[in-house]
Amino acid sequence: MNGEIIFRKDEISADDFTKQIYKNSKLDYSKFYKMDLLSKFAFLGTEILKAHSKKITEYGDDEIALLFSNSVSSADTDIKFQKSYLEEGSPSPSLFVYTLPNILIGEIAIRNKWFGENLFTIFPKFDSDFFANYCNILLSKNTEACLCGWINILDENVDVFLFFVEKTEVNRINSPLNSEALSILYKK
Amino acid sequence: MTSLKEDLKKQIIEQLNLEDVQVSDIQDDAPLFGGGLGLDSIDALELIVLLEKHYGIKITNPEKGKDVFYSINSMAEYITSPKG
Amino acid sequence: MKIFIGAENIISPLGSSIKENFSKLKDNVSGIKVFNNAGFKKEDIYLSKIPISPVGKYGFLLDTCLKDIQKNIPPELFTSPKTILILSTTKGDIEKTLVGTIENSAGALQNKFSLKRFPIIVSNGCASGVIAINTTANLIRAGIYDNAIIVGCDVISDFVLYGFQSLFAISDEPCKPFDKNRKGITLGEGCAAVVLSNTNSIFKEPPIEYIEGTSSNDANHISGPSRTGEGLVRTVKNTLALADMNEKEIDFISAHGTGTIYNDDMESMAFGRLGLNHVPLNSLKGYFGHTLGAAGVIETAVCLQSMRNNILIKSLGFENQGTPKQLNIIFENIKQEIRTVLKTASGFGGCNASLILKKI
Repeated sequence: MNGEIIFRKDEISADDFTKQIYKNSKLDYSKFYKMDLLSKFAFLGTEILKAHSKKITEYGDDEIALLFSNSVSSADTDIKFQKSYLEEGSPSPSLFVYTLPNILIGEIAIRNKWFGENLFTIFPKFDSDFFANYCNILLSKNTEACLCGWINILDENVDVFLFFVEKTEVNRINSPLNSEALSILYKK
Repeated sequence: MTSLKEDLKKQIIEQLNLEDVQVSDIQDDAPLFGGGLGLDSIDALELIVLLEKHYGIKITNPEKGKDVFYSINSMAEYITSPKG
Repeated sequence: MKIFIGAENIISPLGSSIKENFSKLKDNVSGIKVFNNAGFKKEDIYLSKIPISPVGKYGFLLDTCLKDIQKNIPPELFTSPKTILILSTTKGDIEKTLVGTIENSAGALQNKFSLKRFPIIVSNGCASGVIAINTTANLIRAGIYDNAIIVGCDVISDFVLYGFQSLFAISDEPCKPFDKNRKGITLGEGCAAVVLSNTNSIFKEPPIEYIEGTSSNDANHISGPSRTGEGLVRTVKNTLALADMNEKEIDFISAHGTGTIYNDDMESMAFGRLGLNHVPLNSLKGYFGHTLGAAGVIETAVCLQSMRNNILIKSLGFENQGTPKQLNIIFENIKQEIRTVLKTASGFGGCNASLILKKI
């Protein structure tokens, strides 16, 4: 979080990384275990941001825009869904509903009851220009703040970066962003 | 019948990814939906998959699932009863 | 800043040009047919499929559609750094590969058409097309680009068909949006493009004006819409407010109308709450099927044609009132002056989006 490591993955634990973060963050949200990895990481990242910055929860229910992006879309879940009908006998509905990358936006919106603007884009790599431009555009319309994220998950590769943009914090938008700046370490 | 119900509980926990839920947490007669397990409409569809995968029973209309999946008891009842 | 929209094109089972497509729509001809051994259990399934080989279909559709666009706008626009291509898609060329397919398709387009910028890819479920158009308009209004080509494309695949079958969402007859006896969606495929610009002179045929557009999440369920249509209500209200318009000014609504109980019920609730249930309304999914990421662009292209020709197209598949709130569903083609159109879309992930078009 903001360049400081707040939690490190325990390699020995029976729980996977997302479960470790979930428990460490003392969250209680029954829908969590139904989510795919994209949604889990997006959800956890948002919860950690909210814990760190209480003012996020003070915004009106349609004032926060959700702007997310990645390069692999929902490939991680797509592979699992395809396996369900090719190898496991039957297409799995609970996997299919996660075979769209924008579902993670839905999960964040549901959790927080946020009715604001949504956008999911796919880029070859994190595009700070696009985020900077588009946040400014939305902030000049009906939006008061933007919750943004790059959530790229495929197999063991986890590259997750979230940031919160408000009207007063203009400087933060323009800085070149790097993936280590958030609380979640990624492992190859 | 008891081991069928035991099996059902294990299968449900596995099929629906019910983390931190033990077989002993699921009561035979407790409603599966609207109760403590937090199951939703997608879980109901997964139970249809479960019935076919483990018991070869096909439900072609998800509305029928509401009665069948009411509880472990109703599921066991449906599995063991003769079908037309 | 005024934004102009035009140069629309559609490739679908109804035809490989906008003229062919609109002609079939006027004749109320559907692209939906039954296909044998199509589903997971090799059963017969109604689909709206383009009769060419599935191998390379996705790339072929994109190329063909954009080549036609090239003929209708000044050629130097394609290679200008102030032009951006936006691709709206849910699964890309999924039959080819699961990893990197969308990115690869976009890269291929950049090479083929010598685009200065890598395309922006919008992937927001079934609302992608409308969201892509709105995103583009915002970028042009901010001065980042002058012109944009928005192309929407999705193809039918086992992946998607089996998935919807697992949700029991596929109708066993051609879909009947808003009808009392509707049983679900019919999957479709297609590719469509529209051009947006801050200059009306780039268009061969006079463009329409894009007024405004927004999106809003239902915050309810990832695959089921809000029963009260909350997200759809909010996006339409926001779009009208930003456009400085009220709902009485809307002449026609091009709704999402998929043919599922939940979606169509939700739309009726939303349009009821917005005071729009008397406005002539249709869904085009009875003609094209549900084309997912292409839907918003295909259906917006049809809106433009309707406006140019002053013809409201019959909402195919609708026979009897079947939603909690009554809607003014277009029962047969109507010839009338159409000045202002509201296009809406809703999709998995609780996405809802709307945009307003107006004749100049």
